[in-house]
Parts: sequence; structure tokens; C-alpha cells
Amino acid sequence: MLDYFVDPIIIGVSIGMVYGLVALGISLIYSGLDIVHFAHGEIYMFGAFIGLTLFQKLALPYVPTLLLAIVLTGLLGMFIERVFYRRLTSGGGGYTVAGMAMVVSGFGMSILLQNIAFLIWGPKALPFPVPHGMPIEIGDLALPMSYVWIIGTALVLMTALHLVLKKTMIGLAMRAVAYNKDIAYLSGINVPLMISLTFGVACALGAAAGVLIGPINYVQVQMGIGILVKAFAAAVVGGFGSLPGAVLGGVLVGVVESLGAGFISGTYKDVYAFVLLIIVLMVRPAGILGVSIKMKA
Amino acid sequence: MSAVGAAMLDIKDLTGGYGRVQILNGANLSVQRGQIVALLGGNGTGKSTLLKAASGLIRPWGGSITFAGTRIDAMRPDAIVRAGLVQVTQGKETFPGMTVEENLLLGAYVVKDRARRNAALERVYDYFPILRDKRHQPSGGLSGGQLQMVCIGRGLMSSPSMIMLDEPSAALAPQIVMGIFQTIHRIARDGMTVLMVEQNVRMALLLASYGYVIKDGMIHIEGPSEHLINDDNVRLSYLGGTVANREAKL
Repeated sequence: MLDYFVDPIIIGVSIGMVYGLVALGISLIYSGLDIVHFAHGEIYMFGAFIGLTLFQKLALPYVPTLLLAIVLTGLLGMFIERVFYRRLTSGGGGYTVAGMAMVVSGFGMSILLQNIAFLIWGPKALPFPVPHGMPIEIGDLALPMSYVWIIGTALVLMTALHLVLKKTMIGLAMRAVAYNKDIAYLSGINVPLMISLTFGVACALGAAAGVLIGPINYVQVQMGIGILVKAFAAAVVGGFGSLPGAVLGGVLVGVVESLGAGFISGTYKDVYAFVLLIIVLMVRPAGILGVSIKMKA
Repeated sequence: MSAVGAAMLDIKDLTGGYGRVQILNGANLSVQRGQIVALLGGNGTGKSTLLKAASGLIRPWGGSITFAGTRIDAMRPDAIVRAGLVQVTQGKETFPGMTVEENLLLGAYVVKDRARRNAALERVYDYFPILRDKRHQPSGGLSGGQLQMVCIGRGLMSSPSMIMLDEPSAALAPQIVMGIFQTIHRIARDGMTVLMVEQNVRMALLLASYGYVIKDGMIHIEGPSEHLINDDNVRLSYLGGTVANREAKL
């Protein structure tokens, strides 16, 4: 009897980790730059395509593929922020006045990136066949290695992010910038650089999610749309702007979705996340770990 | 002016403001090395704006700001900190999600050498012993006076040659203010040049050797503190009533 639950929960947790990684990026950008980034799904999509290209064209092993895709997508994100977003957010003399122009620009960037991906990689859904090896057997369960990789990698990345934000001067500076840009400046912190870094790290996490989900789903141009909605649901459920909240929300959304699909109906898979979202918003509008302090690691 | 040494900070014909609102209308101010200088004035006269222009938080519209012989009016705030000029803002703003020590360490962000950072930390704990006891507590839970200590301490962490304090006495109890002012006095005696903006005119003039009174974005009156404290205009405008005995106060 228990096995009926364990299987969908493990799958839900691993998919939830992917949602959590994307939601982490959205929360990082929101707390660091005061931008709600609507093109983050496309960053995830680009990460997946870049990973796939590295994996197939350069025939790199999976781990270097993952790392390189993370770095390249992070740099792409920093470029996008510097060239397109920054001029929109600096209008008020800082980075804190991100108005409607920024929101519209995010949607525009989303469409632009989809079309660029379409031109480069075409409309077809591409497989990302990674030979992870045989499933792990735990009792009666056969757990595919892709899920183990997702959970393991996501945990490593989240721990690394936590340690960087908590223990290093750069991490402290990123949090300082998220909290108060003027005071950060007066402490001698290079605020524009920290903003670039924050955006880059957020995009890198999105790319990791894309490369991790690749072996389970296909890689395709529209894959960013669905994840954006799920990641937003995750971020809001956990408490928008809270980093642990983003991870928690991601896992909750993933598990609820997976259980719903397993026990109620797979047809309505996408509904369950939003039912959860609505319930959380009704009971606790600030989200489960709703925060007053930004980028609390 | 009683010059003690070379001018540390020299502000000439400074104009500036926010958006289209002009606040500074050609302010001139000069701070000599090793001096404590008070910048006085009522609300909305441009005191804080002047400090923000000097620290680079707002870009001046015109005029010049020279610090230790270098023009700094087009530099970014972090570069100005690296040059050795630090501002402590009004409002006792800390990073509340971080511990006292993390807050202080951020002030030494420009110091890449860990040993020097720790030495700066020890010096701050020496000035404000209470912060050593609270080093691992989140700054969000501190009292107003302790927050102000964190802010001043954070300003000292990069070992600047000059510090600008924006209303260090604001919204604090008189005993606490006395303690803070005594520490500022000690910091200055240890070689720091200080420019302080104050509403608490009498206390500021007792501490400072020279004072400026700003009005409508221009320097209205200036002079050595003992002159200002006896100046009828200053007394009428800011001190109110009679002037207390100077020695009795400090």
C-alpha cells in the first residue's frame, strides 16, 4: 500500500526540485533587482538547449555539460540584464524603480528568446538521451537514475547557493544589495556588479533545471511557458522572494501534482498546482514562508 | 579659518537636487584634516543632500567636490569609499537579516585582506564594546542606540580617512546621545576627520571645532564653534533661549 505513495512522491519531489530551481531564480531576481522576471522560463529553455547541444555536438559527459550549460546561460543572463533590463530599472536613479516597462520588457524578452531558439534549434521536440544507467532498486521500487540525478544535483546547487550567500563576502554583498542598495554602495560594494552576479546566478539555476529535466522530458522551444507558470506558483506558495520558500513551494507543487495525477486523474495534472496555489493564498496570502527580509538564505 | 592642515574635503559652488527639485544652490564647505566639523541647519535645507553628493549617492549638477586632492564628484559611491571617504546615513539602517558582525564586515568590503578586516573589527568592538557581546545576534533586534553604533562601526570598518555622519543623535535618548558623541570624540582623537550633520546644534558645536550653518542650500553662516555658539543669529535660529555653559556639558 505504502509503495503506491512512495513512487509518486519521489517523482513529485524530483520534478518539484526542478520547479524549485526555477523559482529560486525568480525569487533571487525579485529580491535582488525588484524585477518580476517573466522571461525566466525561456532562460530555462535556453539552458536545456545549450546543454543538449554541448552533450550531442561536443559529446561532453553529463556533468561537464551541466556545468558548462550553467556557466554559459548565466553569462547570457548577465548580458540580457545589462543590455536590456538595466536601462529600464535605473530610471529612478537606482535599481528599485522597475515599473510596467520592465514587466512588458520581460514578456517581450520571452517571445524574443523563443524565436531565437526556434531559429537555432527548430520547432521539433528533441530528445536528450543521457545514459544514466539502470534504475536503483529500493525494495519493490525501481527508481530511474534521472530522478536521483535531479534530486542530488538540485540539493548540491541549493546548498552551494546557501553557503555562498551565508558564508562568503560576495554572498553577504549580494544580500546587502538586495536589502538596501544605498547602504550597500556606502559600504563600498560595487552594486552594479552584484546585480549582474545575482541575475547571472538566477539564470544559471534556471539552466541547471533545464539540463536536469532534459532526460525526462523532451527539449523544445515552448518548454519555458509551462515551467514559468509552475515556478511562479511555487514561488508564491513558498512566499514570494523567500529562497527556502521557493524550494519548499517547488517541492510542494511537484508532489501535489504528482499525487493528483496518480490518484485522481492525469488529465488535470496542471490543475492541482493551482488548486494548491489558491488554497495557500486563501489561508496564508504571504505564502508559507512569507518574508519581510529579502534574500534570507 | 583656522587651518589645521591640508584641506581633506573641499566643496565648491555645489548645486544639486532630486529630479527637477533643486536643493543645493552653490554650497561651499571645507574640512581640514583631523578636524571635527559640524554642518547645521533646519529640515529641508540641504544638509543630507550635501552629504549624499559628497558620498556619490546623488550626482551633483554643478560645482566641484575634492577629497584628499582628487575630484570625486563623478565617482561611484563604492569608489569614493575606496578613496577613504565614508558616509553614515541617517535612519540607522542596517541589514536586518544579518548578524551584527556580518553587518560590520560588510563595511570592510573594500578590504580584501582578512587580517586587516579582523583588526578593523577589533577596533570597532573597542569603540563599542556592547557590539562585541551582540556580535552573533541579528541586527534587527537591536535598540536604537545599538543600531547607530552598528552604522557608525560599519562606516569605520574600511579604515577611512574621513567619515561623514548624518544626524548620529536623531531619535535617541539623551544618555545614549552622550555616549555616541563621546565615542565620536574618541574616534576623532584617534586621527579621523569628521563631518557631522546635526539637528542637536548645541551638542554638535561643543564637539566640533568649526561649524557651518546651511540655509536654502547655501552656507549661511560659518565660523569656529565658540563663535557660532555665541552668535546671536545661530542662537536665535537654532539654540533657542540661553546658551548653556560649555564646560558643564561635555
